[in-house]
Amino acid sequence: MNSIAGISNAAQSPVPTVGGRSTDAAGKLAEKVLIRNLSFYYGDNKALKSINVPLYDRKVTAFIGPSGCGKSTLLRILNRIYSLYPHQRAEGEALLDGRNILDPGQDINLLRARVGMVFQKPTPFPMTIYENIAFGIRLFEKLGRAEIDERVQSALRRAAIWDEVKDKLQANGLSLSGGQQQRLCIARTVALKPEVILLDEPCSALDPISTAKIEELIDELKDDYTIAIVTHNMQQAARVSDYTAFMYLGELVEFDTTSKMFTTPRDRRTQDYITGRFG
Amino acid sequence: MNLYSRRRLRNRVVLLLSVGATVIGLGWLVLILGTLVYQGLSGLSLAVFTEMTPPPGADGGLLNPIIGSLMLTILAVAIGTPIGIMAGTYMAEYGKYAKLTVVVRFINDILLSAPSIVVGLFVYEILVAPMGHFSGWAGAVALALIVIPVVVRTTEDMLLLLPKELRESATSLGLPRAYVIRFVSYRAARAGIITGVLLAIARISGETAPLLFTALNNQFFSTNLNAPISSLPVVIFQFALSPYADWQKLAWIGALIITFAVLALSITARALSASGKSS
Repeated sequence: MNSIAGISNAAQSPVPTVGGRSTDAAGKLAEKVLIRNLSFYYGDNKALKSINVPLYDRKVTAFIGPSGCGKSTLLRILNRIYSLYPHQRAEGEALLDGRNILDPGQDINLLRARVGMVFQKPTPFPMTIYENIAFGIRLFEKLGRAEIDERVQSALRRAAIWDEVKDKLQANGLSLSGGQQQRLCIARTVALKPEVILLDEPCSALDPISTAKIEELIDELKDDYTIAIVTHNMQQAARVSDYTAFMYLGELVEFDTTSKMFTTPRDRRTQDYITGRFG
Repeated sequence: MNLYSRRRLRNRVVLLLSVGATVIGLGWLVLILGTLVYQGLSGLSLAVFTEMTPPPGADGGLLNPIIGSLMLTILAVAIGTPIGIMAGTYMAEYGKYAKLTVVVRFINDILLSAPSIVVGLFVYEILVAPMGHFSGWAGAVALALIVIPVVVRTTEDMLLLLPKELRESATSLGLPRAYVIRFVSYRAARAGIITGVLLAIARISGETAPLLFTALNNQFFSTNLNAPISSLPVVIFQFALSPYADWQKLAWIGALIITFAVLALSITARALSASGKSS
């Protein structure tokens, strides 16, 4: 408890902002998503306190921190999935290409097609593997059969699961193993050609081999997509991400390139967490 | 006596009591079915399904009550199922957090356990009395009122059983709520919802009380829903109470037919819910 008390005293240091970020990332990084002064409430409980953080275009940003620090909450704001539930509300700005995600005028379904999300628990729909992918595509685009076939195939290839399912596309999605189901869910998201992909602890229910496959997949996907991943696994954050944000008790403590965060963190709380002293 | 032999003894006693209770419980069921089969099977012949209910002393069958029961049941299910499913869908999907849902759930539970004779009297008041005569329509409405709470309850329960991640991930693809419900929730809960409908059919196919005041009975063949119509339970009631041996025989046969129809439905429902769980 002592170290935690020390930590809250150290919380006086200013919340890092985009401007305050180190400039080692050479060249201009486009901010696909820019989160500014974002707060979030579960009823009266303030779960996020004025968060400022960018998601750079075609980069992987990892969010780490102990349970309950608000990292999943932050992800759930970015496609407004929280709005399914009453008494949850967000304040501030989360700009996607300059337009506030929280703007009530946003077409929320279109927004969700642009900002895809994969959850901790694999959730194939109760239909065939083929339909799991094709179903979403058909909803947004009027395509011929051949084109849909092609889109399904390319999505499954992108999610590195094509070879395992190509002979059983008509099998039920629920018949796959957990790791395959999760890759199917990623394929389903990728098939809609989103711009941002949010991954909420995508590997925490998977075995090490499936985890390795998904990590490889993330590495490939970042060529085309902006990715935000929440993970409890610090090695995973170190392996897959370009940028890392450390969150603690609803605050964003530190944000920097992953290599800096894991070698020379500026905040003592980050250091304590990364070295396993708490959390 | 040491600890282990004492536990073993206690285990035997409890096992004996449980087996005894099971035998007593099942024994009555076997006795009922046995009596039914013994009394009913001997009179079962093709004539039962092709001839009308006879006057006392003559030969006849149960064609008019069988047809009447089928018509009333089908009509009641056709009226009650859509209403029940839609109400259950509202409660589980749209109005999950609404006050209305709490009220509806409470009232529905009352309706679920309301004595069916009350339903019959109610329909007598609102349909039979104003129309001035008994009718098949009134009978079907009375049975539908029994179907609705069963279907509402199972639909709501089955939809609430679905993991919230399933809805969240479908919503995250940008699916509007109606699509999420139609293509994902309904599919995932299909076996359970169908089971509910089958159980409702099983429930109403033996109901006598609501029909006594509504559909009444008809000793002639009639498919006119605007007039009194015959049904198996009411015929059984009437014939079983009569002093004529051949009428009593027909009552046994009718009871046998209903029981086995309900048994078949229950087995189907069981098989469906089992297949729904394993998939």
